[in-house]
Amino acid sequence: MRRAVGLLAVGLALACTSAPPAWELPPPEPSEGPVVPQDRLHRVSLDNGLRLLVMEDHSLPRVSMGLVIPRGAAAVDVEQAGLVSYMGELLNRGAGERDALAFAQAVDALGASLGTGSDWDSITVYASGLSRDFDALCELLADAALRPRFEPEEAERLRAQRLAGLERAKDDPRTLVGWSFAEALFAGHVYGIPEVGTPETVARFDAETARAAHARFFVPDGAVFYVSGDIATERAVARVRELFGSWDGAQREPPPSAAAPPAPPAERRVVIVDRPDLGQATIYLGHEGLTRTDPDRIAVQVMNLVIGGGGFSSRIMSRVREDEGLAYYAYSGYGMRRDGGTFVVATGTRAPEAGRAIEMILEELELARSNPPSVQETKHARSLAVGRFSLGLETSDAILSSLVDLDVYGLPPDSLDTYRTRVKQLNQADLREAALATIHPERVAIVVVGPADVLKPQLERFGPVSVVQP
Amino acid sequence: MRRAPFRVFLLLALVPALFAPGGLRAETTLVDPAVNTRVEMLDNGLTVLLLPDRSTPVVSFQVWVKAGSRDETRYTGIAHLFEHMMFKGTRNLGPEDYTRYVEERGGRLNAYTSHDVTVYFEDVTADTLPLVIDLEAERMAHLEVTPELLDSERQVVLEERRMRTEDQPQGRAFEALLATSFRAHAYRWPVIGWRSDVEAVPAEACRAFFDTYYAPNNLVVAVSGDFDPDETFARIERAFGAMEPVSEIPRSPTVEPEQRGERRDTVLFDVRAPLVMTAWHAPPTGHEDGAALDALSVILSSGRSSRLYRRLVNDEQVALSAGGGYWEMQEAGIFYGSLSVRPDASVERAEALFFEEIERVRSEPVSEAELDKARRTLEVNLVGGLRTAHQLGRRVAQDWVSFGRIRPLDERLAAIRAVTVEDVQRVARTYLAPERRSVVQVVAPPEGDALAAPTPEDPS
Repeated sequence: MRRAVGLLAVGLALACTSAPPAWELPPPEPSEGPVVPQDRLHRVSLDNGLRLLVMEDHSLPRVSMGLVIPRGAAAVDVEQAGLVSYMGELLNRGAGERDALAFAQAVDALGASLGTGSDWDSITVYASGLSRDFDALCELLADAALRPRFEPEEAERLRAQRLAGLERAKDDPRTLVGWSFAEALFAGHVYGIPEVGTPETVARFDAETARAAHARFFVPDGAVFYVSGDIATERAVARVRELFGSWDGAQREPPPSAAAPPAPPAERRVVIVDRPDLGQATIYLGHEGLTRTDPDRIAVQVMNLVIGGGGFSSRIMSRVREDEGLAYYAYSGYGMRRDGGTFVVATGTRAPEAGRAIEMILEELELARSNPPSVQETKHARSLAVGRFSLGLETSDAILSSLVDLDVYGLPPDSLDTYRTRVKQLNQADLREAALATIHPERVAIVVVGPADVLKPQLERFGPVSVVQP
Repeated sequence: MRRAPFRVFLLLALVPALFAPGGLRAETTLVDPAVNTRVEMLDNGLTVLLLPDRSTPVVSFQVWVKAGSRDETRYTGIAHLFEHMMFKGTRNLGPEDYTRYVEERGGRLNAYTSHDVTVYFEDVTADTLPLVIDLEAERMAHLEVTPELLDSERQVVLEERRMRTEDQPQGRAFEALLATSFRAHAYRWPVIGWRSDVEAVPAEACRAFFDTYYAPNNLVVAVSGDFDPDETFARIERAFGAMEPVSEIPRSPTVEPEQRGERRDTVLFDVRAPLVMTAWHAPPTGHEDGAALDALSVILSSGRSSRLYRRLVNDEQVALSAGGGYWEMQEAGIFYGSLSVRPDASVERAEALFFEEIERVRSEPVSEAELDKARRTLEVNLVGGLRTAHQLGRRVAQDWVSFGRIRPLDERLAAIRAVTVEDVQRVARTYLAPERRSVVQVVAPPEGDALAAPTPEDPS
């Protein structure tokens, strides 16, 4: 008996040691199928046009919620660039019965977060905290979103802070490069101006401009209210109906979005933002991209995983970092908005090597066209896309936020559930076409922040150089 | 040879309260997920923490090495540089294979180094876990560090250093702050290392660091999320069981001597918004004053009702941001203050107002309302830190590395709830004394002075 057990143990040990390591086995086929837990998701529409998305999740005693307006920084004239961000920031500096200090104290007393975020295409007033504070948080959020006070002294204080903040932002090379890159692509269009505006536009803002913007943007038609977490759906719906059901303005339309930006110049050019004290050149290189609703967006994104968006194993990272040791980061990405977009390759390298790094990246972009993703690379990228997608939907908050994003852009509400199948159907030819259609190394804008005296001689070979001050 | 594991079976004895104080509530009662942690130890000393949760689609696999920059003796930055080398190939894997295998399955992987630990993690879907275990064990057993790969990777690290430290005012400030506050203890040098050291580290030193600290009895493995604990433990045992333990793990005995008098440092850099950073010596992690110091952090700097925001940002309008907090490390702690001075304000005045607020929490008790807010905020933060498999794995591993046990949430909540107004004032008086502080200013060079040229470039 003893002996038999011993033999069995030996047998098991042999079986274990002779098993091949897992990396010698082929990766499993990416999984497919729906990802949204429909049993926990509820959609309700109010009479004034506001739509509710509620996802119950009772794993922790917390709750998060938000009101999303489907227009953002892009829906203003260039003279008012930055106004959406400015107005949003003022929403919780005094609202309803409370002045700025009382409002902050009410939020902080709950240990909660409440604030406003905006991007090019949406504004979100959000709150999160413990589920036992749901009612109080919801009321505070409704005050901020619907009854902001826009007191002149708060507006003035924020304007001064914004001006100082624009100045401080120049201390950060990544911010500077982003600003100059946007200008190089979209000069004259609102996309060419920082979302927070410029000193010239911010100087025009006051309580009244913010109040007027609020009235234009905050209409229930098209807006979404989401709640996720430890809350019963009926209770959430009842509370939101009570606080937002009488929100007026059903007859009003949200402001129109920006016109599509004009095509950027069709030749290579170089902008150097002179920061003589920096040892590293911070580089953005690219051109216009595609819109958030472009039918080819998934093929383009999967193609980009091969070229530069796939982390350590993508071509650009592999070449610039792993082979050459030139940079800590090197990636490419598409910024997709309602009316346009960007394609950018970003890296940072010691200033004397900036020219070499750019040369390499341009070569990789040429190769993306002449030597597009192989069958193996395509397979790898599909698997990467599906795996990343699954990891990205780990929490209820994340799932709901993705669903709201679909809503903002008017994309089909089942897009998450069909995503993995759509990725799986992509083949090598799709990725090749995506690369040919969206990567154009011959007409990139090359924007570099760093010491101009070191950079200029290296960069003149790429195109006409202009040197600007931060 | 197959080793019979010596099993430490430890289910955390935590009985969750069925009802929150105040009676029946509609909301879910907080149940500590770490209750389900199974703790095992292989006979080579490797600790394995298993925290299954089949409701998430993700599993996080983390290897915590009890070695950080504090363990560096000759070359600063070697712990971090070595962390980079862990991705550069083994006897059976090429330089980029490791990341490629995980990424082609959609996994997220990375590593980080601190003063005390080096952590390697992979967040993946359940079907990729066996691969991750095998890969992690392979590099622990058969890592290869060649001079060629090291030379390439040291350039990458120097770029990281430029990006995070040399070209960033905050990075400059923080590096100067630790170097000023600590004179003896190894926390005085930056985790990323001094440039000259990173440039000089030879491959043999990397291998020696690996042999000394990457031993099973100096590692904690945490697995959290969607996995089968029995299968996974068996695989870990098989993969890591053959690692040889070391008899002794060297640690520096240095204790930071008491600071007797304020210290100051100035960094001249091309900034539009100057920075003022302050550090006071504070106790190491796990100290009984920790909760009161956390409460003090919230009162000073959390939200727009906080004292520093109200006074410096809102009322006096001298700063764009003002904050601070308790930072606990294994062997010492600091309480830091950080001030981003508005370009149109005086650095001296901003600093003076900041210290006025510090003196105020020392000389007068905070209000009950402020303390309530602090307790509530810390509680919400604790709950917010339990959302993902990665966060949970990190929490149990961090606790195990620091304390040799997993602190139940109830214990931490009780400590937060027990903090009194007197405690807050007492810790402010004890730790935030002017003679125990170090102050660093990052300011633009005087008008007309040439800016410092960038650091001389690489020798290669």
